[in-house]
Amino acid sequence: MLCGAAVLVWLSVAVIGLLKRQQSGLIFSIPTIIGCALLLLAALVGKSCTMTFPLPWFLGSVGFSFVVDPLSRWFLAIIGVIGIPVALFSPGYLHHLRHRVSLGFVWAALVLLMTSMVGVVLAANALVFLVAWEVMALSSFILVIADHEQRDIRRAAFIYLGATRIGTAFLMAGFIWAHHVTDSWIFSEWGLAGSVALGPALLIFIGLATKAGSWPFHLWLPIAHPAAPAPVSAIMSGVMIKTAIYAMARLFVLSDHFVVPALGPILLILGAISAFWGVIFALLQHDLKRLLAYHSVENIGIIMMGLGVSLLGKSYGAPLLTQLGLAAALFHTLNHAVFKSLLFLGAGAVDARAHLRDVEKLGGLIHRMPWTAGAFVVGSAAICALPPLNGFASEWMLYQGFFGLAQSSPTVGLRLGGLLLMGWLALIGALAIACFVKAVGVVFLGNPRSQEAENAHEASKGMVAAQVILALLCAGLGVAAPLVLYPLGRIAAQTSSPSALHGAWTIPITLLALLLIGTVGVLAAWMHGLSRAHPARRFITWECGFGDLGPRMQYTAASFAQPISRMFGSIYSYAVEVTIKGRNRRHFPETVAVETMHEAHLETKVYSPLLRSIQRMAGVFLMRLQAGSIHQYLIYMAVVMGLLLWVGVGQ
Amino acid sequence: MRIALLTAIQLVNILILPLLLVGIIRKVKALMQNRIGAPMLQPFHDLAKMLRKSETISETASWVFIWTPRVGLAVAVIAAVLIPWSSVILPLDWASATNFLLVIYLLALGKFLAMLAAIDTGSAFGGLGASREATISMLVEPTLVIGIGALSLGAGSTDLLAIYAARTSPFIAVLVGAALVLVALAELSRMPVDDPTTHLELTMVHEAMILEYSGRSLAIIEYATALRTCIFLGLATQTLFHAWPSYHDLPMLVRYTAGIAAVMTLGAAVAIAEGVLVKLKWRSVPNFLAFATVMSLLAALIAAAQA
Repeated sequence: MLCGAAVLVWLSVAVIGLLKRQQSGLIFSIPTIIGCALLLLAALVGKSCTMTFPLPWFLGSVGFSFVVDPLSRWFLAIIGVIGIPVALFSPGYLHHLRHRVSLGFVWAALVLLMTSMVGVVLAANALVFLVAWEVMALSSFILVIADHEQRDIRRAAFIYLGATRIGTAFLMAGFIWAHHVTDSWIFSEWGLAGSVALGPALLIFIGLATKAGSWPFHLWLPIAHPAAPAPVSAIMSGVMIKTAIYAMARLFVLSDHFVVPALGPILLILGAISAFWGVIFALLQHDLKRLLAYHSVENIGIIMMGLGVSLLGKSYGAPLLTQLGLAAALFHTLNHAVFKSLLFLGAGAVDARAHLRDVEKLGGLIHRMPWTAGAFVVGSAAICALPPLNGFASEWMLYQGFFGLAQSSPTVGLRLGGLLLMGWLALIGALAIACFVKAVGVVFLGNPRSQEAENAHEASKGMVAAQVILALLCAGLGVAAPLVLYPLGRIAAQTSSPSALHGAWTIPITLLALLLIGTVGVLAAWMHGLSRAHPARRFITWECGFGDLGPRMQYTAASFAQPISRMFGSIYSYAVEVTIKGRNRRHFPETVAVETMHEAHLETKVYSPLLRSIQRMAGVFLMRLQAGSIHQYLIYMAVVMGLLLWVGVGQ
Repeated sequence: MRIALLTAIQLVNILILPLLLVGIIRKVKALMQNRIGAPMLQPFHDLAKMLRKSETISETASWVFIWTPRVGLAVAVIAAVLIPWSSVILPLDWASATNFLLVIYLLALGKFLAMLAAIDTGSAFGGLGASREATISMLVEPTLVIGIGALSLGAGSTDLLAIYAARTSPFIAVLVGAALVLVALAELSRMPVDDPTTHLELTMVHEAMILEYSGRSLAIIEYATALRTCIFLGLATQTLFHAWPSYHDLPMLVRYTAGIAAVMTLGAAVAIAEGVLVKLKWRSVPNFLAFATVMSLLAALIAAAQA
């Protein structure tokens, strides 16, 4: 009921949006927030149930059926929690795009996207799922291309459209195959095991992995997400790609719809590669939003590793491991939604005020945008899994999952694998710290590197409020992690054994947070006491006695990342080009330009040749098929109609 | 009575030992260089003097710069209380708080802020030091987690108290202990990874990062660093002791004295190493740390095979 109400409120926003294209923000923002609040209420207090709305006979016999259970409520909560700050943030942010973008249209597409995500997580059969999935893909495409007067945005949107087409094709093929085997579209009637299950499961998995942005299907993600307006990037990175995680959890982990033992290792390996790949490429980026988008690839990898642990536990009968992996994955899904949308909103605030996303031209914003900077620091610490924030809580659970794998696996290889995965996650964590020290340090700290950065000022109240809410959530979810285990426990109880999660959570994180705050407080009070006798003095940063420390003398993002970038040079080509010009180049150069470049071997050596050959082949065929002759097209239509009739009569 | 005594000992450990260790390292190093060197208690005087002085804060710096030393020290103190680095264990029911992943990430919080504070002043030295620190911690952290993970596999728990109470195979303990010593050298910015005593900030890691600090902030940074040195060397020596199966049966007093003496000896050994070794080229630091990683991996392999 509440979900239905939320959807109705949102759809009314969509209608207003389409009717009044250039309205100001509040008329859209407030109903969207009400809708999200209703959804959140539905997620928190709603009961598990199934609903079916029969369709008229000519549309088939399946009907619109929906299911509400703890798992779908978890994802409803994520949509609601992220929707509220995004709706708060959008009016202020979209204001600076008002001459280029049709605001009502953006709002309409945004609520349509949220509605379709609700549809995806509630769908009880494959057809409803696919319809919602398609609406989700198309509405997000509209959002990506919103600012369509820019060439790179059109290109990004086109790539995104292509990726969603390919993903949906795989998903559809998998669903049709599963329908072919089980003769049913309803998820709960699917029960495939053994060799029959492998084909459809793999097709569905590839379709979902493409949407999630897992390696090696991630190429579209760092291109499409930065192109969208910041609140949309927040929704896409924070929530939309998680619908694929929802489907993986629903179809592979939490049920026996597909019993495919190979999926556990596949998820673990792809997740491990994605996580590393995302963070190492994030380190190389100079565009703030692209950097964040690569971190989505990283975090999707971490979530997939959790699902992989869960599936492995399931395949050799370790219920605690199954639940721990699943809970870690789902908890991290929520946490990533919170801190990633916070970071994207922060990047959006910087973009709206400094009109720059190139980190090398920013700097010193902590003095000009103190609230945005503070929230961004909190979000960065959370994504680096630093205690007592929320990223740590879920990554700690994943560590426990790996440790469980190392402890209870039947083979030496898997046990060693568990230990190595712990190290792998530590490596990824350390790289994430490097990446976010770079991002925060270069964007917010030091001196401004351009006039635009120098002239920036704090974002509007709504934008700040949205970020502060999310930053508080980062802290709250981390400190109150034991409470979050209750809903997770209900989901875990959907596996075949009762929840054992509370026994698995051992660290007193709340107490530790209090201890940390208390110790820092005591130290600060003591320092304050000392400073009364000898107050601190403000003076320029030491410039070695040469005078005039310019902003260009600061360390740049490229130099910061260089030692690590060089170390992993085998998966991409990393080049630093130095151009020195001037009459006396050696002693008095007029210009010195340094440029770093990187290209992933996966992209240059695998995907590009593949795409080129497809294009060539398609060129030859399409030229004949689509020659522009109306007669030819009429024949196609007649043939297809005839075929359809023949198939229909035959049945 | 017992708990009060143990608390008092732990307090002395945390307050006195770190600076004494620094004094010993400096003295041994001076002797290695044919100097008489400062008295062993000099670090205490230095600290007291710096605490009394006022500090200078860069005009570019923000709250990150001001709050980082305080958080850094708080994190180090909490880690020092939680980690069983001196075999003095308070008989409290807090085993679960000593989870090694929690402690490592807590220390990482201090490092994260320290790197940010280094960039905060807009000085090139800070950025340089932070970049190198990030690289080193990327090399160190997987080794640390895999090594202690291998130890914990035998104990069946990731809580440090449980790990150091259980009996593990001596091979694993020796391998992990040796890896921890190497890791400690890198993590604590000592030779051969970083030379804390050159006069050129360009070549340093830790000192480049804290270049802008002065007065009482510098004092607490120095103390926190000394405390971290103590913790890491203590953890390494405890792990090495762990290889000897009947170590746990010794009386508490013996274990305590042996633990402290071992930390001090390891400190002196570090000083001797600093006297005879040259600093590694920055590019060969990964090769040096690869030794530690390989030892951790070997320990993990043995642990996985035995479990």
